[in-house]
Amino acid sequence: MKEERKAKSEIAEMSGSAALPRKSGEMVFHDDWERKSFTLAVSLSEQGLFEWHEFQSELISAIKEAEGDDPNHPSRGYFESWQASLESLLAKKLA
Amino acid sequence: MTTHNHDHANPYHESDRDEATNKAMAERVDKMEALLLEKGLVSQGALDKLADIYENDLGPMNGAKVVARAWVDPDFKKRLLEDATSAIAELGFGGLQGEHMVAKENTSNVHNVVVCTLCSCYPWPVLGLPPGWYKSFAYRSKVVIEPREVLKEFGTNVPDDVEVRVWDSSAEIRYLVIPERPEGTENLNESELAEIIERDSMIGVTKVSAP
Repeated sequence: MKEERKAKSEIAEMSGSAALPRKSGEMVFHDDWERKSFTLAVSLSEQGLFEWHEFQSELISAIKEAEGDDPNHPSRGYFESWQASLESLLAKKLA
Repeated sequence: MTTHNHDHANPYHESDRDEATNKAMAERVDKMEALLLEKGLVSQGALDKLADIYENDLGPMNGAKVVARAWVDPDFKKRLLEDATSAIAELGFGGLQGEHMVAKENTSNVHNVVVCTLCSCYPWPVLGLPPGWYKSFAYRSKVVIEPREVLKEFGTNVPDDVEVRVWDSSAEIRYLVIPERPEGTENLNESELAEIIERDSMIGVTKVSAP
């Protein structure tokens, strides 16, 4: 293995409810905006606007909120929660 | 072979959004992107590159570290062969979604190779994303029938007196091949060894060569 692993493990290997949606190992984006929202968050953390764990905490709360009493039927999808988390974190950081 | 069950009960796997929701979300994200680009907080080039990395380039470094440890630490290797899931967790690699890891050691008598005949079950926490050929119908169908021929296509010649074992992955069991440590690597340390262990050797289609 001579290439460097470029994907950050703190992002790629998030576990529990925050774990990135994958199918047989691959990241799954269903719609283009999901990809865009994902890369915006990763890019902003790489630029140092926030630490990844700060985003991850927001994401976990947002998913929990969407799950309510029924984790099998969340009120919105993973990336809807992702985008909501990013918006709320940005509002705090850019305020 | 166990039954394939590819529904990991992940409610986020399938998109069931209607067009209006999709359009609204797309507009919301576009608006944010435009604002961030304008403020110079992100650049288009960086965004494109990141998408590429996370979709295509999650590397198999974890697996290489596991194999390198097994090569230098016989006790670890013993634990790895007995209970790979726990041994791999010792190195801090998790993220398995309920699948069990099983390690198979290549020796001078046995060569192991891994496939998922029905689809593309793969030990992603240790090997990253599966290569395209792993998912191809040609590989999945042919490696079971003519493993030696398939190995030759990868440039791997297995002598006739070496037994070839093909392991079929499933949603419950993921295999990791421990390739043979090549001669001429006696002076390399664990992290130097990890550098020479490539993904394909841990699927079992190639051997590791000394640097």
